[in-house]
Amino acid sequence: MKPLKLLALIIIPLGIIIAAIPADRVNHSRLSPDELLQEAGTGTQFISPDVVADMLVQKDPSLRLIDVRTPEEFDAYSMPGAVNIPLSNLLADEYTDILNQDAYVNVFYSNGSVYANQAWMITRQLGYVNNFVLEGGLNYWFGNILSPEAPSQTSPNEEFAKYDFRKSAAAALGGGSVVPAESVTPAVKAVKPPVTARAKKKPSGGC
Amino acid sequence: MGPLAPNEIISENTNYLIAFFIGIGFGWVLESSGFSSSRKLAGIFYGYDAVVLKVFFTAAVTAMLGLLFMSLFGWIDLDLVYVNPTYLTSAIVGGIIMGAGFIMGGFCPGTSFCGAAIGKIDAMVFIAGLFIGVYGFAFTYGWLEKLYLARYMGEPKISEKLGLSDGLFGLLLILAAIGMFIVAEWAEKKFPREEY
Repeated sequence: MKPLKLLALIIIPLGIIIAAIPADRVNHSRLSPDELLQEAGTGTQFISPDVVADMLVQKDPSLRLIDVRTPEEFDAYSMPGAVNIPLSNLLADEYTDILNQDAYVNVFYSNGSVYANQAWMITRQLGYVNNFVLEGGLNYWFGNILSPEAPSQTSPNEEFAKYDFRKSAAAALGGGSVVPAESVTPAVKAVKPPVTARAKKKPSGGC
Repeated sequence: MGPLAPNEIISENTNYLIAFFIGIGFGWVLESSGFSSSRKLAGIFYGYDAVVLKVFFTAAVTAMLGLLFMSLFGWIDLDLVYVNPTYLTSAIVGGIIMGAGFIMGGFCPGTSFCGAAIGKIDAMVFIAGLFIGVYGFAFTYGWLEKLYLARYMGEPKISEKLGLSDGLFGLLLILAAIGMFIVAEWAEKKFPREEY
């Protein structure tokens, strides 16, 4: 057989197959249950409240807080600058632009972290990136960031640094007074909490 | 899972190592299929030899089908695959300059290195010209910048611009490629050239 005929016999049927498959199935990035389980298990979706507090205090423009509770709860209290996307409306078309993007760090929060985690899992399954879950939710936020408890005298310096940071963050975010904790060494600078958000690198280069 | 490097499945360095071996393989295949001969390469413009068209279109179609099927099977995330940004004006101007150089010199940049590797003097002269062009562009960049960056289109896909699905566009491209191959084989018979 002539090479051209052989080539045509191979690539034309393959082309017909690929053309017959619905476009959204060719261009998907859906995770398999295994992959999703692995991602959920490693906890990379969680962003620590200290990181969020730091971003809020620094007025980091890339942070976008998303409240997945009901509108009533949102009206009663919401975190500064948060937008409300109730979990039941998560898949509405009007929110797709907010959830499927690569410019902002989206942080889901609910009272605990269950609903926020559900929102993350759904968006992750849709192939969206840059969505995270506020670790501990609003309950932890209130109890530990906005009204932090002073560490005991025998705590390591890091605990005092964390406490000082949370105290000043709480003051900046409304509530609490700025009184540094009595630490073992006098000058402990607030340690910037490590950023856990891991962004995928855009590849560069060509031929 | 893929692409491997952006998903950090393999490191940058491993990526370069793989690229190194692919590059050696690419050069070897180019040389062994006669791409180090400027007469063979220029044949596409005169009609007596269409091997350039056949090889590069077959490569493009193979890669396209491979990527589409791998995306279908969930092996690669096409959103993470690097696409060259398009600056339309410079693409057209550059394409004309590159095409004219290809006809006159008988090499394209990759094949000139291939020819130089087996000691062809014309290929070495071509490479010298290539570097003159590179430096010439670099030193006159200030004047050319406006032209170079004109009509930026982002990272467009033809299928998106035409409103077709990737798969349908792929099929059309395959049919177009087969059509061109048939025309090319006809031209090879029509304008034969014996000695090279």
